[in-house]
Amino acid sequence: MPLAITGSAMRTSLGDTAETYQALLAGESGRQPLRYVAPEGVNVRHGYHVDAAGPERPYRASAWLAECVAAAAREAGLDCARQRVVAVVGTGLRELRAVERWRADGQPVDPDALHFGAAVRGALPGIEDVVTVSNACAASSHALALAADLIELDEADAVLACGADAMAESMLAMIGRVGDESSDAVRPFDADRKGVLLGDGAVAVVVQRAPDSGAAVELRGVGMSCDAYHETAPDPDGLRAAMTDAYQRAGLHPADVGLVLAHGTGTALNDPTEAGVLAGLFADAHPGPLVTGIKGAIGHTSGSAGLMSLLVAVETLRHGQVPPVVGLRTPIPEAAPLNLVVGEPAGTDARVAQINAFGFGGVNAVCLVEVRRER
Amino acid sequence: MTVTTEPRTATLALGVSGWGVLSPYGLGADEFTAGLRAGRDGTVEAAKLTDDPVPDPRAYALAGFRARDHLGRKGTSFLDRRTAFAMLACGQALADSDLVVGDDNRDRIGVVLGTGVGSLQSTSDYSRDTLVQEKPYLVNPILFPNTVLNCAAGQAAIRHGLRGVNATLAGGPMATLAALRYAMTVLGRGRADALLVGAMEEYTPHMAWADHRAGDAPTTVGGEGGAVFLVEDAAAMRAAGRDPVVEIIAVDLGHTGGRTDLATALADRVRRVLDQTGVAPEELATVVTTGAAAEHDALDAAVGPDASRVAITDLVGNCPTAAGALQVAAVLAHHRGEPEHDDCLSLIVASTADGSVGAALLKGNARAARDHR
Repeated sequence: MPLAITGSAMRTSLGDTAETYQALLAGESGRQPLRYVAPEGVNVRHGYHVDAAGPERPYRASAWLAECVAAAAREAGLDCARQRVVAVVGTGLRELRAVERWRADGQPVDPDALHFGAAVRGALPGIEDVVTVSNACAASSHALALAADLIELDEADAVLACGADAMAESMLAMIGRVGDESSDAVRPFDADRKGVLLGDGAVAVVVQRAPDSGAAVELRGVGMSCDAYHETAPDPDGLRAAMTDAYQRAGLHPADVGLVLAHGTGTALNDPTEAGVLAGLFADAHPGPLVTGIKGAIGHTSGSAGLMSLLVAVETLRHGQVPPVVGLRTPIPEAAPLNLVVGEPAGTDARVAQINAFGFGGVNAVCLVEVRRER
Repeated sequence: MTVTTEPRTATLALGVSGWGVLSPYGLGADEFTAGLRAGRDGTVEAAKLTDDPVPDPRAYALAGFRARDHLGRKGTSFLDRRTAFAMLACGQALADSDLVVGDDNRDRIGVVLGTGVGSLQSTSDYSRDTLVQEKPYLVNPILFPNTVLNCAAGQAAIRHGLRGVNATLAGGPMATLAALRYAMTVLGRGRADALLVGAMEEYTPHMAWADHRAGDAPTTVGGEGGAVFLVEDAAAMRAAGRDPVVEIIAVDLGHTGGRTDLATALADRVRRVLDQTGVAPEELATVVTTGAAAEHDALDAAVGPDASRVAITDLVGNCPTAAGALQVAAVLAHHRGEPEHDDCLSLIVASTADGSVGAALLKGNARAARDHR
């Protein structure tokens, strides 16, 4: 059954979808000094914040998510009175920040607000069900896979696959302990990369059965794997398994793909592992797809990362301009076989993109999306 | 998860190709079937299970069960009872099936177990140790994995070399129906080729007291045990020339959002299951309930008096999490080696005090235990 993406919205440190895409083309970054958490305590000095001008409001991720859900549902023209609409929210840490503030600052916490049910219901009254799943950094892409399942099994007429995460002190403390020195910026696939930094944000994507006339944006397939190889280190076999699953479900071959949105976290292990797997996957494709990534510009947005990459991929296929990898100067040797976009945007007439999202514990998801060209 | 399930366009039936069961009647499908047919009393003295005081002197329990007697000494000394049950029942189900696990298919075979709270004994003991052991809280790290909900499913998969989907669904008395429903989705979406699906429960003084005090269980005599079914896409099995023992042709469950009028909500679920499969109420031979009074009211309304009714609590006591799996096992026992029960239709119903209701429809196929067992 062909599936269509009929509406979407996101909120990143660079703005909404259109603003983020334009900023990416210009090579801009949303990086700023870390807010709300003392940098010396967590050994992290920068973050890619959303909405961090004033004092820290509670339940920020829920607020961004509600805004994205409402906008995406509006674009898709969803009507909960006539359609069976369900939301699946993928997240790394839900509203853990609220618990931290309860513990540290005595700020009252509402247990029901720690997942996103109430926020989504408030944004889309009449929605049948809201399910929050915690799948680390592949969470929103997993949510997209579940959305595809729900539509294909005719359990729902429309599913909002979502992602939402706001920086939490515990997560910052963890990334601050991974390397000896604090990372100054996210530099995906760069020889001088010093590790990951976090980004705030939320994203929502509406999946529906495609009309017989075809879809402007078609979700071709989402592959998943969960290899449990290691707590944090990626397993090349696990990454390949998710890719193989995605291509099988989509009925596509690597040679059909003209664009890859890489997971690219700027960490010691992800980037060479991912580059090696991609190089193998496209070894027989000539000239092979253009490869880019968004974390150098908006940070690692945790649960939201996969679907944010997907929306940037869709914008790229629509407009034919591939943004460069912000933060990348000198690619690592493992990435030599890849057509990484460095410095300036690159033109493309690609129609199909692959989007990677890999999480701790070996939770992987790979999406394939196709955009009908109207230019 | 309380997604409302609607009738599906492409319905996948689960074919059971093998099963394992642990009950007071013994370990294995043949022992369970024999005990059920004889109507034997499965209770033992509760004092054989625990030194702690318990509210009822008897229990439907596996007295004398030791993991190492069935699973060997290696790697079994720290297993909790529930995990050992799961590993053993999964092994029984694999042995009872004609599906052979090998390097060509182990990535496509998974384990899906229902649970309530994991091993209550393990979590309680561990929590207690943090209070009574010397500071700084010298708890035994080797025992920590037992406190995690998915310990049983994980250990069973490791023991039997199964690398496919591994999931644990927390649903209490609804857990088995939820696991079967999940299995339909996973197999239907091509995310696995075969799944060991089931649920188990260990007897603990904590649960015995909790049920005794709550007073809303059909019986306060505690039980333990469980069952596991190896399920595959029934149509794919037939295409390969293999006959399922039983087909689970529909599963439907949902949450009423409250504790009121469970009977009406369950009657509605039963009607939906019958509608989905085009089965008339009078075609049902047997209905297996969890024993809750509301279920009988629902059956009076939706099925009528003809089908014989069996309350699983009368046979295995009060072990809510395992009840659903033992209900399915009771239907399988009805068919085991009985060709005259071919094509009999049976219904499983379940309900929870907090408002969940569910039903499953099973269609039998007689088959004696396989020769290779």
